[in-house]
Amino acid sequence: MAVGTTERRPGHAGAAVRGSRARRRRWPGLWHFLTFAAPGTLVYLCLVLAPIVLSVGYSLTNQALLRPRTEFVGLRNYELLLRDETFLNSLRVTTILTLIVVIVPNVLGVAIAALLDRRGWLYNALRSVFFTPMVISSVVISVIWTRILADDGPINQALRALGVREPPGWLSDPDIALYSLASIVCWQMLGFCVVVYLAGLQGVPQELAEAAAIDGAGPVRRFLHVTWPLLAPALTINTVVLLISAFKLFDHVKVITNGGPGTGTTASVAFVVLQEGFVENRIGYASAEAVVMLIVIAALSVITLRILQRREVQL
Amino acid sequence: MSTRAKRPALDRRPSNDRMFVKRGAVALAVVLVASGCAGGSPSTPASDGGKQKVSFLVFPSPNLPESYWKSQVDLVTKAHPNLEVELVAAPSESERNDYAKQLAASGQLPDVQIGMQDLTALEPSLAAWTEQELKDFLCPTCGAVNGKVVQLPANTQTIPNVFYNKKLFAKAGIAAPPKTYAELLATADKLKAAGITPFVSGGAFVTSQPWTAALATDLYAKAPDWMSRRRKGEVRFATSPEMKAATQKFADLAAKGYLDKRQIGQDYPKTQEAFLSGKGAMYPMGSWFAAAADASDMKADIGVFAWPGDDGNLRLPAFTGGGLSVSATAANMAAAKEFALAFQLTKENLDASVKADALFPAIKGYTPPSDTGPVFKSVYELWQQALDRQATVPPFGWEAGDAAMLPGMQGKFWSAAQDLVSGKKNVDQVLSFLDTEWEKSG
Repeated sequence: MAVGTTERRPGHAGAAVRGSRARRRRWPGLWHFLTFAAPGTLVYLCLVLAPIVLSVGYSLTNQALLRPRTEFVGLRNYELLLRDETFLNSLRVTTILTLIVVIVPNVLGVAIAALLDRRGWLYNALRSVFFTPMVISSVVISVIWTRILADDGPINQALRALGVREPPGWLSDPDIALYSLASIVCWQMLGFCVVVYLAGLQGVPQELAEAAAIDGAGPVRRFLHVTWPLLAPALTINTVVLLISAFKLFDHVKVITNGGPGTGTTASVAFVVLQEGFVENRIGYASAEAVVMLIVIAALSVITLRILQRREVQL
Repeated sequence: MSTRAKRPALDRRPSNDRMFVKRGAVALAVVLVASGCAGGSPSTPASDGGKQKVSFLVFPSPNLPESYWKSQVDLVTKAHPNLEVELVAAPSESERNDYAKQLAASGQLPDVQIGMQDLTALEPSLAAWTEQELKDFLCPTCGAVNGKVVQLPANTQTIPNVFYNKKLFAKAGIAAPPKTYAELLATADKLKAAGITPFVSGGAFVTSQPWTAALATDLYAKAPDWMSRRRKGEVRFATSPEMKAATQKFADLAAKGYLDKRQIGQDYPKTQEAFLSGKGAMYPMGSWFAAAADASDMKADIGVFAWPGDDGNLRLPAFTGGGLSVSATAANMAAAKEFALAFQLTKENLDASVKADALFPAIKGYTPPSDTGPVFKSVYELWQQALDRQATVPPFGWEAGDAAMLPGMQGKFWSAAQDLVSGKKNVDQVLSFLDTEWEKSG
């Protein structure tokens, strides 16, 4: 069609038209694309990419919030990080938090989803109950749990009523505080996992389970060999979302323990980055920590995705 | 000839639709870049009906609610009708310094602030006070940073005093407050034996109060210039014998069970409430607690004494500063300074600060009102005794300006106190940690 149209045009103007049409074919709806993509792209550039690039730049300086002069220090901040007890401890804390927050909600989530994968008003109501913590602000959740886990809170009062003379210091004992914090995050994220697994369960063809049952497979074997492999995409989503959420955990830490009790007992990497940057004024150093955090999250996410996507089954 | 020139007329001009889309895209980009990427701008000077506008950063707290700050400002604006003051509230009392630093870094620091602690970090953002402006203050050079006074040294606070519950002392058979450190340990022992928690503790800074007290009697009493020597690198936490001895005393209090490690997770209001509800016999705390004590039902049962040293000599940690400071970029510097000085020197304001926050105004010729509560009177009298005997020392961790720890170290000191109480770290580990953090802060 394009050739024919060009041939009908007289003189040398035909070549120009041909060029113009060809460009339009190569860039179909370029202006429309730009119009619709520009707002999102600009927001992404300003709020995500530009800060990342700036952070990398700052991490090579000794910039402080209120210091008038900033000097280029090369990779010194990264060298210091490798010897910084606070940062290394925050990596340890974050690793423990991440492991708990990725494993526990996934395990409980799939179990609860299997139990709730039924019809009826009760199951619908229970689904809402499990999802409710997910839609409440993390700060609100944290304040509520801080009250519940206080030494004179309802849990310890109940334990005392049951005869426990010295109930645990859920948030004040350095050996327990991190696990209390992880439990609260797990509790909040559980609803998300349940919903994703429920969606996955509803996509599992009933015929496969019926065929397995006819072949003599019991409920456990049916779940392990039919349902579970088909839940692989749900597992991928849950794992990656939980991994990223756990690694950048800040609000729970800030409200519930403020990184304590003591020095860094529950201080996650995100918490330490913000402390260094905005409390201790070392923006350059905090940026180096943030860059390391970004690299670790990106690497872990890519590796996890690759591994989990290999398990996924195409129906 | 260019290809463009050869195009037929229809092709040379984009359609109205496309033109609209193009212009829309460009306009949207400009708006987004302008609104999304541009930084904030500081407040502009304003004069409304002849009034000079001043913004004022305050920190509402349970003892000093927003109504207190408003009434304090009203007292000033009544006497200075040319001033119009806009209150800016910090998110919380404990976070006021971080908030101020963030505002300063983003060019939005209000014209005037009160009670800034990290003066070393904030110094480039604050205006210096002249000798003439400081002539009415008792200690005009207190809190100076690099020789510059950037905060009005408006009041004194003693940190900590030991508030005690007279009824619980009587219940444990203790007739009088201890006068030496050995007596303090014996008192704590008797209380513990009677099933009473000897010291109320909690949170980060409250937990560190006995440590600050021990450092007053065992470190600053012997080496008053210790902090300036630490800043020069002449002494270190881990190798200073006095520092180690005082820290060991503090750690021993926890090891003997006089400090309840379960309390370190509770916040400041709950800790105060614990003492006021009789959940512990002694409460090492700053003089400001007198205001809350006098407002409580048990004010008649609260006594106060200075943390005793081994020799029984009086040593009282006292800090002078904590007043108003003015932003170096205040839109109307004259009005901001006029407001700040009026706020600090007006008798009615000072009286109100005495009653609400138990401050000791460090203003020449000032005496507190006679109708203050009994706890305030006891604390004030203790301070007067220390002044008469020249027995005041700096409060470790609360010093200001050039005499203070490096920025960020105060929080580390408080957290380290929790480590000692919980037993997570021993004395050597904690002191070594503080040295490491000091090097980072430098």
